Amino acid sequence: MASAANTNMNAVRETMDVLLEISRLLNTGLDMESLSICVRLCEQGINPEALSSVIKELRRASDTLKVSEFNSL
Amino acid sequence: GSSITELLGALCDSTLKGVSWKRRALGGISREGVRRGLRRRAYGALLSKLFQDGGQSKAPQQPDCLASTPPRNKMLMISFDLRVAGCREEAERLEELLGRLQEGPACGLVELDSSLELLVQLAGSVPPPALSF
Repeated sequence: MASAANTNMNAVRETMDVLLEISRLLNTGLDMESLSICVRLCEQGINPEALSSVIKELRRASDTLKVSEFNSL
Repeated sequence: GSSITELLGALCDSTLKGVSWKRRALGGISREGVRRGLRRRAYGALLSKLFQDGGQSKAPQQPDCLASTPPRNKMLMISFDLRVAGCREEAERLEELLGRLQEGPACGLVELDSSLELLVQLAGSVPPPALSF
């Protein structure tokens, strides 16, 4: 039982490493932490197109915050 | 496992990395207030897309044939584009990585294609890293 769980953990880790490298090659802007969260959301059944809209929206909001921070310097 | 609510909250928090909170607190904007705002925007984007998918969209974002193309094939199309653009090494690396991804339960994920589709959707959404000399 524990061995099957370990095998699955290793498979997930290997898959995540490959996905992260693909992500970097494609310039998606996802680091390991955000990629891991996104993969878990996909595993929960969230539509990937909807999720990409969420990420782009969050980036816009974050950029606005950073610009206002820069302007206040 | 974490709930969708928790995961979306974690995604919002990861977006806020690098924001200076000392300065914001002085400006009267609390970290918690910004987090709430971000969550609202995240749910707004998620729900608007879901409703758009459920209803009759006047201007579909991609043709039907592309919408039904498996994400692995879309990745191969990106690889082709990379070759055409002269990025042969990147194209070959992408194809090699796709080949390393196991199909079915062997990859450890149930929704691997969804994750690949997400990467396709986000491809080129940030500029390539600057070359260091």
